[in-house]
Amino acid sequence: MKLLEITSVTKKFGSLVAVDSASMFINQNEIVGLIGPNGSGKSTLLHTICGRTFATEGTILLQGSEITNKTPQNRANAGMAIKFQLARIYLEKTVRENILISLQAKESIFRQLRSASLKAFEVKIKEIAKEFQLEEYLDEPAKSLSHGQQQWLEIAMAMAVDPILLLLDEPTAGMSPKERADTAVLIKKASKKCGVLIVEHDLDFIKELCNRISVLHHGNIVATGTPAEIENDPKVKEVYLTRV
Amino acid sequence: MCWGQTGIFTFGQAALFGLGGYVVGLITTKSSLTDVGILLLIAIAVGAVAGLIIGIFLFSGKRVGELYVALVTLAISFICERLANSWTLLGSGNGIPGIPYPTIFGKEIGSASGLFFLAFVVFAIALILSIIIVNSQFGLTMNAVRDDEERAEFFGYRRSVVQIAVLVFAAALAASGGALFAVSEGFVSPSMSGLALSTTTVLWVVLGGRGTLFGPLIALTVLEVVNIKMQEVLPSLWPILVGLLLLITMIFLPKGLTSMPAKIRESRRKAASS
Repeated sequence: MKLLEITSVTKKFGSLVAVDSASMFINQNEIVGLIGPNGSGKSTLLHTICGRTFATEGTILLQGSEITNKTPQNRANAGMAIKFQLARIYLEKTVRENILISLQAKESIFRQLRSASLKAFEVKIKEIAKEFQLEEYLDEPAKSLSHGQQQWLEIAMAMAVDPILLLLDEPTAGMSPKERADTAVLIKKASKKCGVLIVEHDLDFIKELCNRISVLHHGNIVATGTPAEIENDPKVKEVYLTRV
Repeated sequence: MCWGQTGIFTFGQAALFGLGGYVVGLITTKSSLTDVGILLLIAIAVGAVAGLIIGIFLFSGKRVGELYVALVTLAISFICERLANSWTLLGSGNGIPGIPYPTIFGKEIGSASGLFFLAFVVFAIALILSIIIVNSQFGLTMNAVRDDEERAEFFGYRRSVVQIAVLVFAAALAASGGALFAVSEGFVSPSMSGLALSTTTVLWVVLGGRGTLFGPLIALTVLEVVNIKMQEVLPSLWPILVGLLLLITMIFLPKGLTSMPAKIRESRRKAASS
């Protein structure tokens, strides 16, 4: 069974077809890249997968269960986690509180009112903060972190809940080369626990990282293959690589 | 709790305050029940149910913005005031006078100090409960919904359940306040569920500091003390002064009066470093 299976997904905004019958899949522990020029429909496809918008046609299955019309909350409970393009963290809260916000999302209100899981979560918070090089900033407000650290914090928040599928929207946008290299290591590590879908502009970054890459153009998936196959695909060169 | 902690910009607190008052007014004038414990429990239950209905109407389904919530709750306050003004069962424009003093274990609480003590005990319980909630894990959940409700949903939070729960709690508190007002003042009137009181409660939050529990309390105390003094000296200027105070606070202390010490410390630090 595939971890994520997208079949003939179409998303229309009025007469505009943003995604046109796209199909792709992700296996367990696989890193799949989704690339394409600006306006190709990458973000729209990602949003239909995470539930920010709903597909007009087609089906999306997560571990065999249909999630096409499920809410983001249902998808999160089914094991999906996302890091948005612009880090959406809680800037006024500390790093510890940010990770706790992620961890306690599925706790009942009554357990939260009693702060019943605070001690148990503290172990997990320290563990995940260490993994993402944020241990020394646990009591610092998230707004004091560098841009790269804020991106890592959001990935850490996503990974804290042990998702089965991690969606990353341009995880290295605005990062220094060193931070990009570190992020690649973190994503590799994450893929040992779950499947990963990365939406990226930067082919150099994802070709090192991904098992497979799908290329979107005008809402259509025009090619899917290994990084080497994608690099040598004449259609990809024509529609994407020449425009980068 | 609503606006400061959860981002629910409500103008409906006066309607719920009035509801608690009218429920107690009706019960005490149409029956012999005066036990304050039972009256408070009834008011809290009625307030909570009203909060639940308003919450489900506002928050189940799609996400709604602060402005939508403000406008709907403003309309609810307006409707409640009009209803109280025109419904004969509720005494129309005269309200319900002659509400008897409350009793506790059969003993009447009729003195000013007794009524103050009763109000103070209920207030203290409400404040302690609010402090516990805000400092619990649920307090963090409330803030997560306030700061980015869509993000919270992507973490798996049941956003609407959180908002409805907070509204129910706030509604129960407002109704208990209305019940206490009714038994201590001896009457309820349409104005206690109307727009003026709704706006005043929002004013306390703006002046005191959104996101703090003590800020609105400080603002309320300052406004009431100054109000009493000003009514004696310059009664006609008072509303203008309140408006000016609000304007100055919003410009120079956007986080309210409670942020003043931090602001002073910061400017002293800046002055010292330069």
